[in-house]
Amino acid sequence: MPRQITEMLKGTLEGIVLAILATRSAYGYEITSWLRENGFTEIAEGTVYALLVRFEQRGLVEVEKVPSEKGPPRKVFTLNDAGRAYLAEFWANWDFLAERLRQLRTSPAGSTTPAPPTTEGN
Amino acid sequence: MWIERITGDLADKRKWREYKARVKALPPAYREAAAGIERYIMHFGAVDDGPTLVRMFGDLGDLLEGAAADQTPIRDLVGEDPVQFLETFLDTYRGEGRSWIDKQRAKLTASIDSAIAAQESGAGSAGAGR
Repeated sequence: MPRQITEMLKGTLEGIVLAILATRSAYGYEITSWLRENGFTEIAEGTVYALLVRFEQRGLVEVEKVPSEKGPPRKVFTLNDAGRAYLAEFWANWDFLAERLRQLRTSPAGSTTPAPPTTEGN
Repeated sequence: MWIERITGDLADKRKWREYKARVKALPPAYREAAAGIERYIMHFGAVDDGPTLVRMFGDLGDLLEGAAADQTPIRDLVGEDPVQFLETFLDTYRGEGRSWIDKQRAKLTASIDSAIAAQESGAGSAGAGR
């Protein structure tokens, strides 16, 4: 099971982090803490950081360097318009996926609801 | 040093030495983690573009220094599966033709496109039916 959730998170963590940034600006440590407090106990801080750097490269966030009492300055990330558009796309894809999975679960393939063609003949 | 082979630019070399100095100043455990990460990147990083490497090690330095300052346990920093963390990290710098992996991926895509074009152009001929 832990493996399975890890695989599932690979595809969705990006959207999760963007969704958190949509509510407020944050730095990596804050996002990781929020995730851990909300049951995502397996998330590595480094992985979240890697995604934030990726968002920065793709121009989805604005970055502000804020001096820190200890250690290097913190990068605070804020979602910009491109980031909000990307997040909207993520939610659209998520809705599609969630709806299809719900259909599969409640009315198994082969019943009246349209099922993926590959399940025919099973 | 491997990095000096691929980064001809003097400014890049200076940045690399800056990174090494940053790592040297870390507490021993974080320094050891950094050495392991560098070793993996050397073998599997597949990023061979100087400026990209400079940016990557700059970001890695930020991450390690921040973690050391916060005293984030190394397990929490890299997770249960350090490979997964590092692959996510590396994916940020791969792509857009910056690594040999991209060139091989582009070759694969071109080969498949060519095979499909051949298939489609031969679709009407007698040999195509099966």
